[in-house]
Amino acid sequence: MAYMNEDGQWIVLMGLLVAVGLFFLALIINQSALVGQTTAEGVLEFPKNDIQDLRTAVFDYVDQFPYPGDPRVQEDIIAISLERKNSLVDFSVGPKVQVSGRDLYPITIHYYNGVTKYDETVYY
Amino acid sequence: MVNDRGQLYTMEGVAAGIIMLLTAYIVISTTSIYTPGDTHIPDMQLEQLGSDVLAMMDTPNSKEDDESQESDLVTYILATDKTSFRAMFRDYCNMRAGSGDDLKMNAYVYFHDRDTGTVRSYVLDEEDHATGRENAVRVTRWVQLPERPDNLPMAVTDIDNRPQAVLLEVLLWRT
Repeated sequence: MAYMNEDGQWIVLMGLLVAVGLFFLALIINQSALVGQTTAEGVLEFPKNDIQDLRTAVFDYVDQFPYPGDPRVQEDIIAISLERKNSLVDFSVGPKVQVSGRDLYPITIHYYNGVTKYDETVYY
Repeated sequence: MVNDRGQLYTMEGVAAGIIMLLTAYIVISTTSIYTPGDTHIPDMQLEQLGSDVLAMMDTPNSKEDDESQESDLVTYILATDKTSFRAMFRDYCNMRAGSGDDLKMNAYVYFHDRDTGTVRSYVLDEEDHATGRENAVRVTRWVQLPERPDNLPMAVTDIDNRPQAVLLEVLLWRT
């Protein structure tokens, strides 16, 4: 059996290491398409627009129907929220109280969609 | 003296193992194709765009702080003006540089029927036909109406004539 020179194996091994390195770099570039997925899912799941919209609706309601308000419109908002947004909504408006020298309506808003719960007491 | 020639064969074996593992990983992972659409990023952007457009439409035009000044959105719903509603919504959605957008939309109004205690709806815009397979997002906006809207479809003309809150729902998708 002829004598075998194995020095060349190191070159092959180093070549393999470079190849593996390139492979992982390619993997990183591949994954970069997914940047922002968790953020986007978080934004979609959190009902920011629902809550902002509900607040606007409640403030509009108070503008149009000052205390004691119109229970029919209030029931509209509660019923449609439950039916179309799967969210339990309740709000109430009290008689004007003095806050920092101004007469404002105390409003309590409750919102719960099974995941996110939001409670607020605001003077409007 | 200890002979270390065997180390080279060990490393070779490790390298061969890594190659086999990588091959198995690549073969198995080809069965699931992960596209950017799965990341919900376009959904999030579309939902935000729709919400912003509805907020713009619901902003009164007049600078006077007058209760009778109604926003375009309220005006269109009160008159059931499907054409103007669609035109303005699409116009606001497409306000950007470059070519037009392939945005499609449907809009429905949900109202509370106190007599039956149910929530019913009618169509405000259904010009784009949905097949049900679109990856649509839903944006909503509360609208306060002082009275019953005009020009309602036949099926819902019994909607109460009273001040009420209705929910406008817009389905948005791209083709």
